[in-house]
Formats: sequence, C-alpha cells, structure tokens
Amino acid sequence: MDWVCCWHRKVVEPGGCPNIGEGEEVLYTSYQRRILEKCIDCPNFRNDLQKMQESGNPLGEVVSFLLGEVREQRGKLQSMVSFLDSREREIKFLHEISLVLQTSVDLDEVLSVVMTAITAGKGFGMNRAFLLLADKERKFLRGYLGVGPLTFGEAWEIWEDIQRDDFTLKEMARDFYQTKLTSEKQKFHDVLKRMTIPLSDPNHVLVRALREKRPILVENAFQNPECDHSLVQALGVDTFLITPLISRNRRIGVIISDNCITHKQITPQDVQSLETFAFSVAFAIERASLYERLQEELLKVTAANVKLKEQQELIVRMERMALVGKITSSIAHSIRNPLMIIGGFARTLLRGAADDDPQREYLESIGQQVRQLEEVLEDILNYSDSLYPTLDIWDVNQLVSAVCRELNGRLHERRVACRLRLDTGLPPARIDYKQVAYCVRTIVNTAMEGMPEGGEIRAETRRENGWILVEISDNGVALSRESIDAMTTPFGSTEELGSGLGVAICKTIMEKHGNLFEVDTPPGGGTRYIIKLPVNREET
Amino acid sequence: MARLLVVDDESSIRLLYSQELADDGHEVATAATAAEAVEKIKESEFDLIVLDIKLKNESGLDLLQKVVKERHNLPVILCTAFSCFKDDFSAWLADGYVVKSSDLTELKEEVKRVLVKKGK
Repeated sequence: MDWVCCWHRKVVEPGGCPNIGEGEEVLYTSYQRRILEKCIDCPNFRNDLQKMQESGNPLGEVVSFLLGEVREQRGKLQSMVSFLDSREREIKFLHEISLVLQTSVDLDEVLSVVMTAITAGKGFGMNRAFLLLADKERKFLRGYLGVGPLTFGEAWEIWEDIQRDDFTLKEMARDFYQTKLTSEKQKFHDVLKRMTIPLSDPNHVLVRALREKRPILVENAFQNPECDHSLVQALGVDTFLITPLISRNRRIGVIISDNCITHKQITPQDVQSLETFAFSVAFAIERASLYERLQEELLKVTAANVKLKEQQELIVRMERMALVGKITSSIAHSIRNPLMIIGGFARTLLRGAADDDPQREYLESIGQQVRQLEEVLEDILNYSDSLYPTLDIWDVNQLVSAVCRELNGRLHERRVACRLRLDTGLPPARIDYKQVAYCVRTIVNTAMEGMPEGGEIRAETRRENGWILVEISDNGVALSRESIDAMTTPFGSTEELGSGLGVAICKTIMEKHGNLFEVDTPPGGGTRYIIKLPVNREET
Repeated sequence: MARLLVVDDESSIRLLYSQELADDGHEVATAATAAEAVEKIKESEFDLIVLDIKLKNESGLDLLQKVVKERHNLPVILCTAFSCFKDDFSAWLADGYVVKSSDLTELKEEVKRVLVKKGK
C-alpha cells in the first residue's frame, strides 16, 4: 500500500516529515519517539489509518482504538500537570508571603502584605478585603483597614495599572505600603467606622467564626437573620467570606473578603486557601502588635531611666547645696549679731555726738560699712533660703503689683515712676512666691539705683510660648555687654552698679527653680530684665 | 511712755536695745534667759516684750507661747537674726516680727505700732 505519512520508515531524510521542526532533528532517526510525538496528531497518519481500515485490515480498527486511549490519557496527564503547576505557584506565593510575614515587625507593613495578597490577581484574587482587629482590651472588633475598588470603574483602573506595571506580589505589597496605605484607610473610613462589633455578642457571625475557629461563607446576607444588618449594609454585598485570625487561642481579628465587582463565586478552594493563609497572618499580626507594644514599653522604660538618673544627680547636687547652704547660713548668722551690735552702738554714739565732733566721721563710716555688710549677709541668706524652694500656685500680676506697691515710697523719693502693664488673661504660675518677689524687688531696686536723676520703670506681664513673662525695663543708661555679664555673675563688679550679689542671685535662684532670667539692652535704650515663669500645667 | 522687757541672751544687745528704747522715752528692763523673763513678768507689769527667738539653749517661741497663754494681753515683738521664722506658725502668735539690724529704726517703729494698736 502507498502510505502518505512516513510512519512506516525507520529513518526519515531531513525534510521527509513536515511535522519535525528545528531543534527536533533527533526525531529523524528516533522511530518510536517520532510515532508517539508526531504521527499521532499528523493528518497524513490519520489518512493512512483510514486507508488501512477501508482495505479491511483489522489492525486499522485496533490502532484507531489504541490511539483514542493514548489521547485521552495524555489529556488527563496534561490537566494533572496544570493542576500541579497551579499548586506549585500557590506554594511559591505562600512561601514568598510568609517570608515577608516572618521577617517584618511593622504592623502596617504586615497588613499591606496581607491585604495585597488577598486582593491581588497573583494572590487570592478577591475583589475586596476588610480587616477588623480586636482592641487592646479585647472588648471590640474594630474595622482597621479596607482594600479594593469602590466602583466598577475604579476596579478597571486598578486592574489596568496592575497589568501595565507587572509587579511581583512582593513589589505590589511594598508599593501599597509606601503609596496607598493611608489613602485606602481614608477611602473606606466610613465603612470601617461602622464596623464595631462587641466580642461579647456570641450570636454575631464574626464572633461565631472566631469562636468556632473556622471560616464562614455568608450567602444571601441581606436575608440572612444571623447577619448583623448594619454590617451587611456597610459591605453592600450578599456574599462574603469571613476568615478568623487566631494565634494560640488569642482572638486577633477577622478578615472579610468578597467579590463585589466581578461577583465571581467564592469556591471551597478559595475558602481553604485563605484559611491556610490566615494562620501565618494571625501570627504575624500578633507579633507585630507585640513588637509595637514592646517598643512603647521600651520608650517608657528608657524615659523612666533617664528621669531616675536626673533625679539621682539632683539629689547629689541638692545634698551638696544643702551642706553649702547650712554652712553659709550658720556663718552668716554668727556674723550678724556682732555686726548689728557694732553698727547699733556706732549709731547710738553718733546720735549723742555734737555736730562739730571730729569723731562723727568715724562713726558714720562704721555705720555705713556695717549696713553694707548687713546687705551682703541678707543676700547670702536669701541665697541659702533659695536652696529650698516652696512651690505653689500664685497670681503673677498680684505678685508684681504687690512688690511695686511695697517699693512705692523709695521710688517716689528717687523720682522714679513705675508703670505697670499687666496682662489680665494670665494663667496662674507654679513658683516660690518669696523668691520671685525677691527677684522682682531686686530688679526694681537695681534699675532705680541706675537712675540717680530719676526716670521711669515699666513692669509688664504677658504670656509667650507657654511661659509667663515678667519684663521690667528702665530708661536709664544702657549697660555694656561686659557690665551685664559681670552683673549676672556672682561677685562680679560693674562700674555703674558697684559690686554685689543682687542680680546674680536672682539669676541663680530663677534658673535653679526651672525659670529663665535674661538681661539685655533693647534698641530703644535702657536695660531690660526678663523673668520667664512656668504656667501651672495642672490648671490649664 | 511704756514699760518694756527686752529678752536676749547677748548682753551687748540687751544694752543696745535698752539704751535706744530708753532714748525713745520707755522704761526698759532686761532678761538673759526665759526663766529670768518669767520671773520679771511675775514681779512687775510690762506693756510689751521684745523677745529674741534663739536664747542659748532655749527657744524664744516656747516663751512666746507661755506668755500668750498666761498673759494674753501682753504684746510680744519677736526680734531675731533669722528671717525664716516668719513662716513658723508659732511665730504668728507674736504681735510683731523684726529682723535684727544695726539700724534700729524698724524695731522702734514696730514698738510704736504695737503699743498704739494695744492702746498703750
């Protein structure tokens, strides 16, 4: 018989079989393989078989039957291969996801991976997913994050983007984390707000999924009496899948996913895959939340540690200061009595002396020097008193006006006007009244002494950057920078003001109490003293 | 003119105060200890006591409490080198408080003020 096909030849010349292509040259000599791979589907072979049957050859019938069987088996094999392929892809995908989940401790990053995996075509391919997390007290499940399109149009845009960018799942998750997380949270804000379910409600379908530790596929939700009406309204679909997230018996949250756009059926395969996925998700979320809490605790402990160290240093400093204060105070007091007796008698003698008595000058001098020493002692005692501040809540305006009123006589004597401009809306301050009053008094006295010809002192209070400011300025001669430095250093001496402790002590006292003290020369002339006092935080 | 009792453990201060207050026209007696002061108060009538807070090993504040309890209309001016006692509750029982100074004007003013207030 003349055969059209080359099946009966052991060896075929190159070009002898139209089905053998480039790279398949081995088939020219490999007889068995050529029959199995090429002849089976070759139309010439089918013609030859037809001819064989028509000629009454019984092998024609048998070969045809065997051929059908081979084709069927091959089809089965192919579908098995494609099933295995898809399984392999799924395993690869789960592996990729679990790698990210295992390594990340950032809650938002974990959630980005999870939500991308559920909604991406390369992942589980659901249209939308909502995550509800149990709150810290484990009293409520609260809507935390929603991912997916709101409308059909938006869905198309997203899918087109995905096709154009062709990201891997990992890249998509990273892109989502970096660019979309906040906007997605915002997009579903209203829906998420309506998703607050008490964990104590045992009949709620979400709580039931958690209790039974298994996914629940809800169908006909609008008619389902078991479904919370407001939840179904918020979702707006009648079929959705609830996947519980449980880590070592702890209820972490639930994921609700649906196909609101495509209305594709959620298959048992989908349910099973998501359930498997949920194990690692729950674990990763819990770990990330624990890590977050650990970080918070760590910050608290670090802050407490710093505070403790500060307190310890403060105690050491205060002990040292207290000792210095005790010694200073004891010396000052033992000097005070004899000094007072010397000065007192000098004054008595002076009063008894005749106007032309040559001793008068000596007595006057003793009196003056004693007075000066007494002033120094007063300053030192004030300083040692300042080591033990008594903080309380005071009205700064009342303090400033009381001090100015007290100095009224001396101001008048020296022809110095004192103008007050007090802010009536000032909050109360937390200060040592005695010490602040001492400072205000010292500043007014210093300003007054700097204006022997008389002048004007302005005392102003106001609120600025969380502080209460007391600003006292005079219109006397502006001090040089060196004079100001000397004035604010203990025992420094200035040409204009002589030597003394006054302003330096004010600065030390104020700064020790956590207040600020500045002296400067404003462009308009004169000298400006600024005390910054803390607002009483408990009241504001 | 009033009868004053100056209580101070320092003899020079007793002398200084007596002289200065006598110059203002008052009759001044002195005591160096609390016991001596109690004795003097019993013996004769006074219009005012000028009392130091630190008396060797005694506290002037104890004597102040005793006087307030037993002779409640006898005014007392506390006179001390320590300004911190101003905040001591028992010091508030006194009619006046003066921090020691070589310039006795403040003490004299205080004596005058308290005497006028008590109508003496």
